[in-house]
Parts: sequence; C-alpha cells; structure tokens
Amino acid sequence: MKRRFPLYLLVPLLIALISVPTGFFYVDWNKSGEGAGLYSRDWKPEAIFAYWNPKDFYQSVDTVVGVFDGEQCVQCHQGVTPGIVNDWRKSRHAKPSGQQATVYCSDCHGNNHEDLHLPTPDVCGSCHDKQHGEFIDEKRYGFPSHSLAMERALDAKHFADKPKAEVTACLQCHSVASKCDSCHTRHLFSAAEARRPEACITCHSGPPHPDDETYFHSKHGQLYLAEGENWDWSKPLSKGNYPAPTCAYCHMDAGKHQVADKSIWQFGIKQVNPLTAGNIVKRKQWIDLCSDCHEKDWSADRLKEMDAERKRAWKKLYKAESILKSLRSDKLLFPSAKQRPFYPMNSESDLLHYERIGFFEGQASAFYNVSALERDYFEMWYFENLTAYKGAAHGDASFIKKGHEAMDKSLKLIQDKADRLRFIGELENNIKNDQQKYAPEKLWKNGEYTLYNRDNN
Amino acid sequence: MAKIFLTAFLSPALSIFLLTVMATDVFATQAVPKKNITLKNTSCIQCHEAQNRSLIKDWQNSAHATAEPVVDCVSCHGSLHSNMASTARHDDSCTGCHGGEKAPVAHSYASSKHGSLMRIEKNTYDWNQPFILANYRTPGCGYCHMYQSNHNVSSTVRHELMNGKTDNSEIEKVQDKMRQACQTCHAPRYISLLFSNGEAMLEIARKKVREAKAVIDQAENHFNENQLAPAKQQFKKMQQHLRNVHLGIGHQSPDYQWWHGQPALDGDLLRIKDSIGELQRLKAINESRSDAVSD
Repeated sequence: MKRRFPLYLLVPLLIALISVPTGFFYVDWNKSGEGAGLYSRDWKPEAIFAYWNPKDFYQSVDTVVGVFDGEQCVQCHQGVTPGIVNDWRKSRHAKPSGQQATVYCSDCHGNNHEDLHLPTPDVCGSCHDKQHGEFIDEKRYGFPSHSLAMERALDAKHFADKPKAEVTACLQCHSVASKCDSCHTRHLFSAAEARRPEACITCHSGPPHPDDETYFHSKHGQLYLAEGENWDWSKPLSKGNYPAPTCAYCHMDAGKHQVADKSIWQFGIKQVNPLTAGNIVKRKQWIDLCSDCHEKDWSADRLKEMDAERKRAWKKLYKAESILKSLRSDKLLFPSAKQRPFYPMNSESDLLHYERIGFFEGQASAFYNVSALERDYFEMWYFENLTAYKGAAHGDASFIKKGHEAMDKSLKLIQDKADRLRFIGELENNIKNDQQKYAPEKLWKNGEYTLYNRDNN
Repeated sequence: MAKIFLTAFLSPALSIFLLTVMATDVFATQAVPKKNITLKNTSCIQCHEAQNRSLIKDWQNSAHATAEPVVDCVSCHGSLHSNMASTARHDDSCTGCHGGEKAPVAHSYASSKHGSLMRIEKNTYDWNQPFILANYRTPGCGYCHMYQSNHNVSSTVRHELMNGKTDNSEIEKVQDKMRQACQTCHAPRYISLLFSNGEAMLEIARKKVREAKAVIDQAENHFNENQLAPAKQQFKKMQQHLRNVHLGIGHQSPDYQWWHGQPALDGDLLRIKDSIGELQRLKAINESRSDAVSD
C-alpha cells in the first residue's frame, strides 16, 4: 500500500515554502526604495545624508576631471584644503613604520576625481582587518551597538516619519556605524585620540545618555581631568598603562573594537534580569576588568549596588506605566491615539490605533504627537531613568540622586494628572448630548508644523 | 686751531649723535610699549589705527564696541603688551563673558567634534599663530568668528540669535564669511550642504514655535491671563530650545540640534496644546452644564 505524505505535515510545509521566501522578498522590496532601511519607500534622503551614510547615498563630485596619483592629490590639496593635508602629514598613514608603504589620499578615496568615494569601514578594514572584524562582529550582540547604529536609526519609525532636514541631527551620531572617523577624526586617524574620553562625548552626552557628565563627575573622571594631560596615550588600553580608566579602557578593554559584548543592562531602556547565565558570564568579565585596580569582592559589591539601583528604578517606572495603562483601558487618555496625529508610520486606514506605552509597544517613537501625560512618562523613562542609570554605572552618586528624585517627582505628577483626567473624564461622561462634547482633533491635528510633518517626511 | 677743529669735526658728530638718540627714542615709543606698562583702550587705538585702520574699524562695527559695558581691546587681550595676541586667541577669553563653559553658546561648541578635539589638543597648539589657513588643527571660537583677524565678530553671527527676529537677508553674508574658515579644511559641497540643511532644520524648528504661538494667540480670545499662564511659561522654554537648535547647527553639535533642540520643542508644543486643550474641554463641559440648567 502506498503511504501518503501526511496532510498535517504537508500543509505547514507548503505554507512555510511559500511564506518565507515571500517574506524575504517583501523585506527586500521595502528596502529598495529611494531612502534606506525598512521604510525606504516612504522617504527620500536629504543631500547631506551622503556624508553620514556614504554607503547608501554618496556620489562623487564631478567638478574636477582627471586621474591623479597620491603625491598629486597632496600637492593640490595643500593649497585647497590645507587643514586635511596638515593632518595627514602628521598621521601614521604619511609616515608608516618599517617597510610599510605610505597610504595616500587615493588609496582610500580612489584616484579618479570624478569617481571619488568616502571611505566606509570596509575601506579601513582592508588594512585594519583585526579592528574592522571586531567592529562588525559586534552586530551579533544586538542593539545598542556602534555597528548597528545606522541601520537601526534608519529603521526607526520616527526617523522615517519626521521631516528629513530635522532628523539629519540623528545621523551625525548614528554615522558611527558608517565611518571610522567618528572616533579617529580625519585625517589624522589617531589611536591616541580615540583613547581619550572626549572622543566619545560628542554623541555620548545629553539627557538620555549623560555619559560625559557622569564619567567626569566620578573619581575616575576627576583623576583624568586632573592628570590625564600627562598620561602616555600611545600605550594600549591594558592593565598598568593608565592610572585611571577612561570610557575606552572599560568598554573597549585591550583596544577591542566592540563595546557590546559586556553589556548587561542594554542602555537601561528595558528591564533585564542581571542573573541569567549569560549575564553572570558578563558580570565576571566586568569584575575581572575592575580588578586591574580594585579587589574582586569590592568590585562585585559595586555591581550589586547597581542591580539594586536598577530594581528601584524599574519599580517606579512600572508604577507609572500601570497608571498610564489603566487610563488607556478606561479610554481616558486625552487626546486619544485617534484624536491626534497618528503614531509614526500609521495612517487613517489602519485598523488599530492605540497609545504606545512602554518599551515593547514602541514607546521610543512616542515623544511627539502624544498627550502631555504620555510625554511625561517618556521623559521619566528615557531621561530621568537613564540619568540614574548612567550615574550608577559610572560611579556618580549625584546623578543617581538626581535621576531618582526626578523620577519620584514625575511619578507624583503622573498620578496627579491621571486623577485629574479621571475627574474631567467623568464630568464629560455626564454630558448626554455627544454634540456638546469637546472634540480635540481641530487643535491637535492642525498647525503649521503638524501639517508640514503630516505631508512631508 | 681749536675753533676749526670744533666746527669741522665735533659739531657734525655731536649733531648726528643727538639726532640719532632723539630719533631712536621717538621710534622706540612708537614701536612697542614697554612690557610692564598697563595699557588702556585709547592708547591701543591711537597706535593700531595707524598700523591697521581696518582692524579698528571692524571692531567699531561689531557688537562688542557698542556693548554695555564695552568689550574693548583690553577685555580680550589683557592690559600687558606681551602675549597680547595669544591671550585673546584662547577660547577662555570669549567664554568668560559669554556665560561660561556651561552656557548653551559655549556648551554647544564644547559638545561638537571641534570642541572635543580642542579639549584634547589645546595645550599642544602654538597660539602665537594667526587664525588663518588651518594653522590650528581644530577651530576654537576665534578661528571661525575672527578668521583672518576679522575684528567684526558680529559679521559672523546671525542677529536672530540675539533678538529672536528672523532676517533672511543676512544669511548669505554670514555664510560667506564663515565659508572662508570652513573651507580651509572642508570640501565646498560639504559646506554648502551643511548650510542649506541647517537652514531647513532651523525653519522646521521655527514652524513648531509659530504653531505654538498661533495656538496661544487663538486662546487669548477665550481665556484670561491666569488660565494661559502655564502655556505661556512653556512658550518661554520654547524660545530657549529654538535657540539651542540654532546654536547646535552653528556649532555642529548633534546634542543641541537634537536632545536640547528638536524633541524638546516637540515636548513644548504638545504641552502647550495639552494645557489649552484642557481649558477648551472644561469650557465645553461648563457650557453643557449651563445648557442643562437652562433646559
């Protein structure tokens, strides 16, 4: 008797065979638009994007015609842009050690002036393969990461939604994934420079990641500020070479070009269990690193303090989140998701409109076109929480205090505002005639910027 | 015999000697003041006007010359004639008056890549060099705002930053001045695109401010000063956030363009709408109640 292939296996197999390739095709199709990333069909790049994301957008100038060798580039540009030639002359590229050949402009930019390119990490990687390999390897640890910074920015809903001249601001930092000169500035490309904490702070500053302030406030940072000028920055970032650690000493120990492998708290934007098997391995790596200078037990205690701080922070955040969620389930958030401009990349025709509360619902994009209460929670989560987190991570007690005091204040404010919304909502529910009820759409869906943002992204 | 000797040899010699001494003395006082003399502005101008008239004129055309109290030569250069130029070239001589290191005008620079490099490298630069042709690896305040010793600092700053009034006629003039400094290191297309994108980004920020202003103006007809106070308070913060965007663009600080700028303005705008929206909502509730009573 012939044995038939059982139907319960055949059907799922057929579905998988059809849907998986279709899925891949759909994602590729989405990424093949004029922009870049998942929503590339929904937006067009600004011309300046060429410089932040050269891989996707750079096109050579054709104002100068000809093919030039390295010395010719240098001679001409000494007159045109002396700053970059001065830099290059001081660099290892111009004065390589031993038998290595000089690295000229043309080696990275090409020699045809009508077909120049801005060097991407691959170009640097063709010589610096160890560093480039480590940098690319970072992707497997997921976001946050330097290496994924550009693609995740382009995939962010608010990035796709907002006017592109506005979100140019984002790309300047997220370009850390697309070019090596974010840390080793052109055209000196110095390792010593990138070892200094100042190399990081152009991006690692501001309300969601006050890495600069918390580090400089810490004892480590104070020592750096007092003595750093006299340290020998040509030394690698390893035990015994520096009297106090810098950003790179801890996060890129031994000069390893990836920062994500030891990350336990994932930037503090969602709660993590610090005691999973994987995180215990990372914890051990941290303790080993701290014990370059400190005792192991002492270091372990500091990390435990951070666990406790994170637990306290998330208690407060979840309290606030539950207040917002209970208002949402009672339909009391005002204006509601339907009554205001839609969540980024949503439109009128979408079936479901709801207020995004919490990290997993996409709160990261919900900082505009939301009610004040939701914005309050956004700031509590993204600014105040991270103020405390960075304080705890970098050893700045003043920022732990500042962050937690701000969160306490926000929590109270959110509770008060929620009570008020319930009170007003009740009054409004007493109105029998719907015509007499206030409709917020006119106020919220209109206005010069709001309409501009609706029509331009 | 003695008479002949005196007239023939000694008197010309004496005259030459006397003349030389007098002349040297005169030259000496005109050339360089003694190092330990404390100078005043008027004495600087007397001499330097003869040497470089346009420099003094530039300063006179700048906001520094009409400021109250006046920002004169000695304010930046100090009052001792030694190291006067290098003293004034350091950023500290600007930030001292411009709000200190934490003020947005200075902090937006300090958090830029230029500013980061300056923090690392400032002690390695030779500050006796003029601000020209990439003599400094990274620009400080003076390299861009006083390129080629341009003492009219105001010609490099948009007045909108000071008085809040948009004046499009000055955009090109300021950009042309700035371009001279930028192009010693950066490519012409890069500079032009940064300028045009900056204008577009700033205009977007202005749109947010104008939207908020229109909402408040509209509400003036229906609500009193007390009711509108929170919205107006928020609008004041909005002015600073707009300024942050402007400074962030000028100084190329991503942090000021973004976190201290655009999303902060988004927050201001929605809070203003929220405050006024609540007033409108309560008004509707009140009106429906009085309708119910009159029914």
